[in-house]
Amino acid sequence: MAQSERIIDIAGVHKTFAADHGTVTALEPVSITIKAGEFISIVGPSGCGKSTLLRLISGLDQATGGKITLDTAGRRRPVGFVFQEPVLLPWKTILENVRFPLDTAGVSRAEADKTALDLIKMVGLAGFEKALPRQLSGGMRQRAAIARSLSDDPPILLMDEPFSAVDLLTRDTLNDELLRIWQSTGKTILLVTHSVDEAAYLADRVMVMTARPGKLKCVHDVDLARPRGEDTKLDPAYHALVAQLRRDLRTSESRVGEAH
Amino acid sequence: MARRLTAWFDYALALAVLLAAWWFATGPMAMPGYLLPSPQRTWNALAGITVTGELWLHLGFTLQNIVLGLILGCVAGIALAFLMTRFPKLAIWLDGPLVILQTAPKIALAPLFIVWFGFGILSKIILIFSLVFFPVFIGAAAGFRALDPKMKDLASLLGLSNIQRFRQIELPSAMPEIFVGLKIGAVQALVGAVLAEWMSGKFGLGYLMTYAGATYKTPLLFAAVLLTVALGLLMHVVLTVLENRLLSWKGVQR
Repeated sequence: MAQSERIIDIAGVHKTFAADHGTVTALEPVSITIKAGEFISIVGPSGCGKSTLLRLISGLDQATGGKITLDTAGRRRPVGFVFQEPVLLPWKTILENVRFPLDTAGVSRAEADKTALDLIKMVGLAGFEKALPRQLSGGMRQRAAIARSLSDDPPILLMDEPFSAVDLLTRDTLNDELLRIWQSTGKTILLVTHSVDEAAYLADRVMVMTARPGKLKCVHDVDLARPRGEDTKLDPAYHALVAQLRRDLRTSESRVGEAH
Repeated sequence: MARRLTAWFDYALALAVLLAAWWFATGPMAMPGYLLPSPQRTWNALAGITVTGELWLHLGFTLQNIVLGLILGCVAGIALAFLMTRFPKLAIWLDGPLVILQTAPKIALAPLFIVWFGFGILSKIILIFSLVFFPVFIGAAAGFRALDPKMKDLASLLGLSNIQRFRQIELPSAMPEIFVGLKIGAVQALVGAVLAEWMSGKFGLGYLMTYAGATYKTPLLFAAVLLTVALGLLMHVVLTVLENRLLSWKGVQR
């Protein structure tokens, strides 16, 4: 896998919203280049613009200024998106939900079924193909959502606090599975999270963002050995990084406190 | 299965008691036949029109009008609700006129429909349509409005066409609310159909009632009333079966 190819180039991208009392800055200019196959965590408090950045990259929202270049060879659907909630279609089975991006792109049923069944197996939902979303637990639904986001094989996967609604034990398991999926598929992943532990554990680089106005404060390289696992969580370097991320976030918070 | 059998048994028992009371009133109590015909004579009247084929003619006519009015009312109600959610400008424009039309008692307009659209089938279908349209429209509008914004994001991410959006996401997610409107509309449709036939024409269960009433054929009148009740029940059963099939994903238990 060519790690050096750059796949996302963000140059001076910013976003303002029109509000009743003038404009609100959701995101101050951000610049960063992301390489193909990289795992990036974006961590920061509420209102720091981390979800906004993800929506800008996905094309769901338009930037006020700056430029985002995706080097994805003109694919119609360059990004897969995993929301905070699973957003499955409740009237479709798990198989139909995972197959949905393929069905709507006109892929043949046999081919779509094969891809979807493989993905369902990969996210650990084998045996639940015929189940409806309401029959599954929150964690299982989010697994299905991940499988759906991968089904039409987008090179980039954007995840907006995907595991914030599941319990901590499930979250640990899902994190390990996400790493396994990342390693087997070679996707470029951008994951937004509140949790500094999660951010450090998963990523190659961690983007720290601060709120009011939302901006990118710094980017940390994560030099922890791969593959990661329980041993990583005992590594002093991991704890040092987590502590550093906490300090970064705390100083930004106290500054907001002074301003008030 | 056993529970279903018990339910059927209960229904049958209730019906039998009703029938027995009817028989008692006309037999031992000696209620005059022109006020309340006996079950036997009502049955004979029913059998009479079945043999001559009149039954199928009238029942078929009423049923056909109801089905046509329901289909047209549903399609138009869903279409307008969809257009109004898609184009909010349209909603602002049509809001006033729609409220006026909606609150106007459609049954009071029935004579006007006859003046405008004649004694034939057209005025009947328009009356039924006007009764079905509004409940379906209101239900569908509520359904389309309640669409989860995340579903819209999903549709944008997948680059769905307008038709795909409607067929795959918007219509199915509005279906529960549409059904609420449809069930109200179906009851209204039956009322509208019978009423329209009272007022004009030579066919339908409503016509059969006015004819039997005007000629003092009380058993025939009774038969026509019972047929209308049966038709209402049939529609209820069909809609319930349809709802259970289409909305089973919601986990509705009935």
